[in-house]
Amino acid sequence: MSDALDPAKMGTADKAALERLILTLADSKRLMGIRYSDWLLGAPSIETGIAASSMAQDEWGHARLLYSMLKDMGIDPGPVEHDRQAEEYASIGSLDEEMPDWAALVAAIVLVDGAISVVLSSFATGSFESARGRVPKMLSEEEFHSSLGAAWYRRLAAAGGEAKELLTAATKSILPPTLAWVGAADDSTGRMVAAGVIAPAEDRLATFRGAAREFTALVGIDIDAVDATPEWDGARGRTPGHPNEEAVQRARGDLNRALFVE
Amino acid sequence: MREIVYDVFARKDRGDQLVHIGYVDAFDDETAKVYAWKTYDEEKWFEMCIVERSAIIPVNHDDGVFAKARRIAG
Repeated sequence: MSDALDPAKMGTADKAALERLILTLADSKRLMGIRYSDWLLGAPSIETGIAASSMAQDEWGHARLLYSMLKDMGIDPGPVEHDRQAEEYASIGSLDEEMPDWAALVAAIVLVDGAISVVLSSFATGSFESARGRVPKMLSEEEFHSSLGAAWYRRLAAAGGEAKELLTAATKSILPPTLAWVGAADDSTGRMVAAGVIAPAEDRLATFRGAAREFTALVGIDIDAVDATPEWDGARGRTPGHPNEEAVQRARGDLNRALFVE
Repeated sequence: MREIVYDVFARKDRGDQLVHIGYVDAFDDETAKVYAWKTYDEEKWFEMCIVERSAIIPVNHDDGVFAKARRIAG
């Protein structure tokens, strides 16, 4: 484990890099929660819907904890959570649109939620003290998400027919922006690697590919042959684009502004 | 696809009795564990476990719900 990082002693560029890293993790968690919540009432069984509901709450709780880490750098998380436009969100590109079917949500649980956990695992053992203290609990809760996603991915792949076709299409769509996000290697990410906050891009990618390989193989996709989306928005640390407006309105809590309690 | 009934047991504290708190339908042990933990999350359980209803052996009621499950499974 690296020596603890003191945000107060960080240079401007390093602080900006840490802020971007926290934001992309927190925004991804918030959007992942929304994608779970889209399926509370459309899941294949009552138990699955309840699990999706609980996991949506997990994701929002994780997002809240991640946004609160901005306080370490003197940033008020309130406006960050509630006032930004869709174009400012740094969430992983594969969560921009609602999952069109249950198979797509299953693919997102395995690949996107899985990718977020890979980066969080690295964050949890890095040099940023707040991450060391708060992220391990998140990862422990994520084990249930991982189990649910894995079981459903295997089930849909084994079912064949339309279920497998939808799973295959979703996997193909999700992988390129997800690989770009996990394997981010621009200047900002490089600063975080140099400061010991997260692991190098090749390590993150190897962990992600290692975890996902057996699943993508079930739908005939060799994850080692899939290219990451080449376009990159360095300001936000994600591929170009943004979450759909309706999701951002929910993420910001637009309908509940009069009831905010901070 | 066939779903299996799993009964859910839990205890709040280390010394408490393990009590039956409900059931879930799932297609395998892994999903049953997730469904049980996420469905019965109103308490901070010290321990939770599940068992396939068809594996429960009735002792004094041959016509009870668990006996029926065994007949169906068997």
